[in-house]
Amino acid sequence: MPPQAQQVLDTLNATIPLEGYLVVGAIMFAIGAWGALVRRNAVVVFMCIELMLNAVNLSLVAFADYLPDASGAGAGYAVLVIAVAAAEVAVGLAVVLAVYRTRKTVNVDEVNLMKG
Amino acid sequence: MIVAFIFLAAMTLILALGVVLSRNVVHSALLMSGSFLGIAGFFVMLNAPVLAAFQVLIYVGAVTVVILFGIMFTQRPQVRGFRTIINRQIWPGLAVAIGVGAFLAYVLSIQDWTGTVPNNGPRETGTLGEILLGVNGAPPIFGLLFEVISVLLLVAMVAAIVISRRKTGEGVDRQEVE
Repeated sequence: MPPQAQQVLDTLNATIPLEGYLVVGAIMFAIGAWGALVRRNAVVVFMCIELMLNAVNLSLVAFADYLPDASGAGAGYAVLVIAVAAAEVAVGLAVVLAVYRTRKTVNVDEVNLMKG
Repeated sequence: MIVAFIFLAAMTLILALGVVLSRNVVHSALLMSGSFLGIAGFFVMLNAPVLAAFQVLIYVGAVTVVILFGIMFTQRPQVRGFRTIINRQIWPGLAVAIGVGAFLAYVLSIQDWTGTVPNNGPRETGTLGEILLGVNGAPPIFGLLFEVISVLLLVAMVAAIVISRRKTGEGVDRQEVE
């Protein structure tokens, strides 16, 4: 095998540094935060919150896999985050349904009963 | 490794952007499930196949279906104009999001992560179970957290039923309105 091909193979097989996963998680968190801030539809706001929770999960699992002293605790926290997210989406959609029944809209900027 | 990483990162981030920018709510939900699939691929790369299975079962399966049910109950399927899906804070919101993302990425990447190597995670299902129950050297607080999270899930499900239940004589169906 020529040395150039070996070099290319080594580059392809190199381990990803921890920063790679963390930066992907940070960008995904930012995208979710943007969506939660600018979208009007309450259901889409929930989807964006799920995106943010998933970004945090990715960071937790990356830390659990890369840090030797973490002893895998991040994976346990990721399971807890998944359970909390499931509870959140169930209660949140129930609230959206109740709001839709009384106000006939799910746009978050039209539900302004408590606005001063 | 690097090819899989770039593919998964592009898939996750592009589909996540699609969730925010899609004009159709159903498309948003489907793009979100694709983004979650990308995260499941990351979990496989990070030696957590059990979490990848959880991710596919719970997020790609259950959460997407629940959100699609929510869409079914609350919207009429129609493509809206771009101005009507975004509220007035689009540019301040974009500035805040870019600020948050740049700050997080900067803080996380200036740290000295040399010496961290992969393959420390709980690859075996049994190891993850021991961590979740706080036995065999795992932090013992996890036993308490596990119980609390179970009670929280039960309370949340009961609350979801109570909140979304129709009381007699209150509210009307869409069909009755039309």
